[in-house]
Parts: sequence; structure tokens; C-alpha cells
Amino acid sequence: MDKDTIEVLARRAGLARALAEFPEDVTVAAKQAADVAQKIRRPADPAAEPWPPMKAGTTL
Amino acid sequence: MSDLHWMTVGAAARAIAAKELSPVDLTRALLDRIERLDPKLNAFICVDGEAAMAAALAAETEAQSGRLRGPLHGVPVGIKDIIDVAGLPTTCHSKVRQDHMASADAVCVEKLRGAGAIVLGKLSTHEFAIGGPSFDLPWPPARNPWNTDHHPGGSSSGSGSGVAAGLFPMALGTDTGGSVRNPASCCGIVGLKPTYGLVSRRGVFPLSFTLDHIGPMTRTVADNALMLQAIAGHDPLDPGSAVASQGHYAAALDGGIRGLRVGFVRHFHETDTPAHPEVTAALEHVARSLQVEGAEVRTITLPTLGEFGAVNRVILQSEAWSIHGPWLGERPGDYGKLGRQRLMAGAFMSAGDYMLASRRRLQMIAEVEAALREVDVLLCASSMDPACRIEDTAEVERTYPRQARTPFNVTGHPALAMMAGLSIGGMPVSVQFVGRYFDEATVFRVARAWERVAGTDKKHPPIV
Repeated sequence: MDKDTIEVLARRAGLARALAEFPEDVTVAAKQAADVAQKIRRPADPAAEPWPPMKAGTTL
Repeated sequence: MSDLHWMTVGAAARAIAAKELSPVDLTRALLDRIERLDPKLNAFICVDGEAAMAAALAAETEAQSGRLRGPLHGVPVGIKDIIDVAGLPTTCHSKVRQDHMASADAVCVEKLRGAGAIVLGKLSTHEFAIGGPSFDLPWPPARNPWNTDHHPGGSSSGSGSGVAAGLFPMALGTDTGGSVRNPASCCGIVGLKPTYGLVSRRGVFPLSFTLDHIGPMTRTVADNALMLQAIAGHDPLDPGSAVASQGHYAAALDGGIRGLRVGFVRHFHETDTPAHPEVTAALEHVARSLQVEGAEVRTITLPTLGEFGAVNRVILQSEAWSIHGPWLGERPGDYGKLGRQRLMAGAFMSAGDYMLASRRRLQMIAEVEAALREVDVLLCASSMDPACRIEDTAEVERTYPRQARTPFNVTGHPALAMMAGLSIGGMPVSVQFVGRYFDEATVFRVARAWERVAGTDKKHPPIV
């Protein structure tokens, strides 16, 4: 994730102040998030459901 | 009665019920020890000595007249400071919550009091139960009683440090990515992350709604079962609370493990995250000992630690961001550096990342469930290294993620960490046992078998 992308995403998330006061921390946070999802195997089955599974509760 | 500070929960409760021990004497002895040792350990954020002594006096009066509130009558407990105790602040070890005041007990605290326990005070944690030991928060980080130059693990760091040091015989911790089991591993005590939904989360400051667990931390396996018995149970006001009936956790504790099938998840510590040689040797020793006790040990394969860790991080940081986003936007300077960095990461996760992790999570649950149809319990590493020096930031950062606890936050299975031995340097090394959903009783039975063989319940840190 490059510097410009980080800044755009940070401002969009409401982190303008953090970006001004703690730019290094914002960069560290963005880099932590950048590649983590790539380590997860994508389910081959398009119908694979998330957890928790969908179920009707007593309040529905 | 000497050495009151090393008394187990069970022994203290029995002695109080038999009118051989005064809750006032026990509480006073522990408060004296806290006054003497806590300046070195920093286990407490707040000691509530006056209220504890008043509760002890009431417990003594009740015990003398034969009225016992429950199985923990008159026994002191410490509470991690993300859990509400009425009349005390729940600071979460953060400047952000310094002025907070809890108006009611969390359900788990209410249940402990109902069983007769006496609350001593609120305990140190990593800020908002995430990150690592930090020196830029309003209170110093807890230290490890086996060597106060070393960290005690976390995030339930004060809970682990205080139980191991004999400041109290039991504590409540919370576990979202391993935060009960890490300090249990680092401090050589017993820490259980129960099945997801077994213990109510109501009144506990959330870190990640679908990964948060509240668990007991004690010096012995029997005490852990006793404490779980007090805090487990359905709570209709906690949307994540399970409706499953409560087990009898200590029923088969000393039943032995002959014929039990144990699945040893070797790839976690052999190839996924190669462990320190002393940890590897200790795990092999545990496996051999269980075989000698009559268990059948076979090798089991699960998804890799790397993938479990990624699923845990995406879900945890996304959910945590939904809680902390507004504060991080308005007052980022009120967080410590580590907490700020960890909690802001969620701002950069996408909805696609979160759904991918949640879909893979259900598959991972199925894979662990399949393994637990082949065996009765899993044996695996907890921490891959003994605790390092607390001020060695680089080593803390290197070793903290080297663990095998997050898989069972992802899947929700009950998982217990305890001492497997001591390193050459005198620091605890650990082992983890994992069971089927709501089968904490079998986890305790295996843990007790190991404890009986190794005598881990008799090993205390050399702090006086």
C-alpha cells in the first residue's frame, strides 16, 4: 500500500488527526492490514457461508 | 496456618467451611503480600482493600453461623480491568477510560460473588486487551514473578502475574487471540479459554464480539474447574451466550486417561512456527507421559498457524475498529503507541477481507470438528518460547506472535494452557489441551493427569 493510498483511506476512515499527529503509526497500521487477507485460502465453493451461520432468532 | 498465599481455592474454601480458616485472616494475609510485592509486579491497577476486608468480615460472620454462599465462600479473586466491578473504574489500562465508573458488576463477577468470592481489585492488562507490554500508559505493565525483568504475557497480564506470585489464588482473564492462555503459559499457571458462549460477556469491555471469551486463571487444574463451575451458564441478555447446559467440570478430574485418544498437532510447533528447542522437548515429554498414563497419542493435521492467525487478525481488527474508530478519530493521543497501531489496522481492512475470513472460519471449524471426531482431545503448543525480557522490545515483538492459541479463538473450542516445565533459564514453558465444544470436563481430566505426573501445581516462582 503506497503513501497516497494510505492517506486517502485514513482520511476516509476519520483518521485525519491521527495522520497529522502520528503518521508513522498510521503507516504501521495500514501495513499490518495490507497483506493479511492474502494469507487466507479463498473457499472454492461459492456457496461457502460465513460464521456465524445464518439462522432465524427468536426476535425475528 | 502458614503460607496462606499458596493455598489453593479448593483448600481455602474447605478450611473456611470447616471453620478452620478465617476469610478475614486469608484476605489480610493476601493484602499484606500485595502491599509488599505488587510494587515489583504491577499486577494491580486498583486494590480495593477496604471493600475486600468488609466482604471478608461478612463472609466470616456467615461461615461462623453455618451459612455458606457457595463453593468459593470467603476466597479472594482478582479481576482483569476490562471487566466491570460495581463502584470501581473499568479503565482497560487506558487513558481513554481513566474516568470511567462501573455501575454494576459484570455477570461473571456477579456469579463469583454469588459463589462467595471476595473481590480484591482490578488487574493490569494490555491496553484494551490488545498489543503488548507498554510503558506509555497511565499505569506500568505487569511483570513476571519468575523473573521480574521478564514479561508475564498478556493481555491478562496482571491476572497471570498475581496468581503465579500468590497475590490471590484465582483471577478472571479474557481471551480474544490467546489472552488468558498467554499469561498462563508465561507465568506457569493454569488458564482456560472455555467454549465460546459458555461464560457471559455482559459487563466486559469488548475487543472482538465473535472472538471474545472470559476464562478462569488459577494455580491448579481443580481450582480452574471450580472457578469455571461458578461463572459458566446461559445469559439471555448476552446475544452470544450458548443455551447448552452447564457441565460438571470437576466430576472426572482424577478419573485417569486410560484409553483416551489424544491428537498431537505437531506441525504447529515443528514446521508452521518452529518452537524453541526447550519447548519442543517439553511437548514431547508431555506426549510420552500421557502415553505412559494409558492414553493413545496420534498425530493430527489442521490448517496452518499462519492461516489461522490471518483469519483471527482480520476478524479481530475489523470488529475492534468498529468499537474504537470514533475514539481513534477524535483522541488518538490518548492511546499508547502499540494499542493505537493495532487498533487502527482495522480501518484498512475491507468488507471483502472480513467476509473472506468469516467464510474460511466456518471451514476451519469443520476441519477441527472432523479432527475431534477422531480423537477426544488435542495436544499442541501454546507459546513457542519462554517469556523474554520485558524491555527488549524487538524480542517481545518477535516472540509474541509465535504461538498456537488463536486457532481456538477462531473455532471457539475450549483450550487450556498450563506449565509443561521450566527452561534452563528458569522460566516456564507451556502446553495446550483442546477439547470438543462444551467438553471442558475432558480437557480438565487430561490436564489433571499431566499435572499429577509433573507436579506443576507444586512449582512456585522464587519470589518472597
